[in-house]
Amino acid sequence: MRFLGKTVMWAAIAVAMVIALFPFYWMLRTSISPQEDVYLSGMSLLPDGFTLDAYGRAWTDGGLGHAMLVGAIVTGAILGIQLLTCLPAAYVLSKVHSRWTAIVLGVILASVLIPAQVTLVPTFIGINLAGLGDSMAGLILPFITSAFGIFLLRQQMMSIPTALMEAARTDGLGHVRTLVTIVTPLCAPGIAAFSVFTVFATWNEYLWPLLVARSPELRTPPLALAVFQSADAGFDYAALAAGAVIVTAPVVLLFLFAQKRFVQGMSGTEVAG
Amino acid sequence: MTAVAPTRAAQREAAPAAAEGPAPRKVSAAERFDRIVPALLIAPAAIGIIVFVLVPAVLSFVAAFFEVPLAGGAWTFVGLDNFVRVVTDPAIVQAIGNTLVYSALTIVPSLAIGLGLALLANKAGRAKPLVRTALFLPMTANLVAMAVVFNWMFATNGGFINEMLALAGIGPVNWTGSPDTSLLTVALVGVWRSSSLTMMIFFAGLSTIPTSIDEANRAEGIRGLTKLWRITLPMMKPTVVFATVLSVLTSVQAFDTINVMTQGGPLGSSETVLTMIWKLGFSYYDLGAASALSLLLLLALMGVGILQRRTLAGGRS
Repeated sequence: MRFLGKTVMWAAIAVAMVIALFPFYWMLRTSISPQEDVYLSGMSLLPDGFTLDAYGRAWTDGGLGHAMLVGAIVTGAILGIQLLTCLPAAYVLSKVHSRWTAIVLGVILASVLIPAQVTLVPTFIGINLAGLGDSMAGLILPFITSAFGIFLLRQQMMSIPTALMEAARTDGLGHVRTLVTIVTPLCAPGIAAFSVFTVFATWNEYLWPLLVARSPELRTPPLALAVFQSADAGFDYAALAAGAVIVTAPVVLLFLFAQKRFVQGMSGTEVAG
Repeated sequence: MTAVAPTRAAQREAAPAAAEGPAPRKVSAAERFDRIVPALLIAPAAIGIIVFVLVPAVLSFVAAFFEVPLAGGAWTFVGLDNFVRVVTDPAIVQAIGNTLVYSALTIVPSLAIGLGLALLANKAGRAKPLVRTALFLPMTANLVAMAVVFNWMFATNGGFINEMLALAGIGPVNWTGSPDTSLLTVALVGVWRSSSLTMMIFFAGLSTIPTSIDEANRAEGIRGLTKLWRITLPMMKPTVVFATVLSVLTSVQAFDTINVMTQGGPLGSSETVLTMIWKLGFSYYDLGAASALSLLLLLALMGVGILQRRTLAGGRS
């Protein structure tokens, strides 16, 4: 009975892992298959040949090479700016206690609940009125701060003992120096989780670039891939799969190397083990 | 100001390290500066949230009650007309119905599968990190890229799924191209994705349950479903609520997969509220209707939020 239970358990785990991983395997397998074989090979699990041609087609014909550059710039800029806006805000909201910080905190927590699609249309009109439609600034500007990020960093800062901060203040350190020299190093894990989450969310953002990036030079990786599928590539599944690998690789690698921080950033909680 | 300065000075005297600190007059200027520093520190984030969240949200709310002319110019107050239009337009009603069906197909299955997988992975012993990493992977992938891959797997000719079904003698199914199966197909991808997300959250929740509870259960002979229902789930009630809310949000707001795989078609069969808001706002430039529909969605989501509060409050009493 016990043995049977174990067998069923491991069988269930195996099936779940196959279902979870199969699309990734199929993506890789299709991406290295010769173009003419993709259709013919049907469901043979192993590729019939090996070629990296499809990656070349995705990189140049699909515009993914340029899109990766745009993605890196947009992601880097948004991460940098968000750190500059969220860290100080989280510091004030966790360590300065007054009636007005309580009000600001309430407003920020409430704004986490406002879904993006409610603000989408007015934000788009505003960006266009400011003359930033179809520009790099237009891609970045709406993401200069993140209510969720402030919330996440504040959680981490709350765990820093208040006595430590008071000691720093008594030593004559101002808020800025306390933040830079004491609080920031101490909440490095929280900052790492925040950064992983921001890179993940920004890299994968599709809705906003779909609206703003009308010029091909501004396409971010997911947008370039979607355009490649709908227009240029048609049924060149090998090139599309190669493009999917290119778009997915950075975030999957980020996850594999920073799994703990990734989970912390996603679920807002620390995971033991 | 004068009331505060002496106390600070007293503190400074008490701290030996600060004995040779700056002269008192200089301090009071610095202190005055220190008072406004918090406001300055919070200003960039506050301005960002006001400009890009609060003001657009208010504008969206207002626009729902106005006719917004395409070419610019004065808005005309139309009361509830936009809402009436939204709930009587057959295409939009279909999109609302599709969203409910999509949610039914994804929310409960992904919660059940996610919980099951978290429990399984938690028992995997030394293989735990490997199992966990593999099962988290769907959550981490780029959704547009996976939609492209699933499009190929669900392709009518030469797609992996149809080739498999052909072995069982089932004729080629036109997964994304037929009104009967398009919504089901995007929902299957949704479950693949969301199960990984809910599993991640349940997994985090399970790790917060102390091992002593497990030992006590074993001693008492509480096992299996009884343990899950009576002990594990109640102990991680906040986690269950969080996973439920998140899976409702991801289901109701599904966009990327649908936009890439079916564009809401064929014949609107996979159109959801979110893709409809998109179409109203950016294809038909009907901002009033788009705002009205997004407001209705917000109300529905707020209902979920209230349910969440109720459940959590119930847990405390």
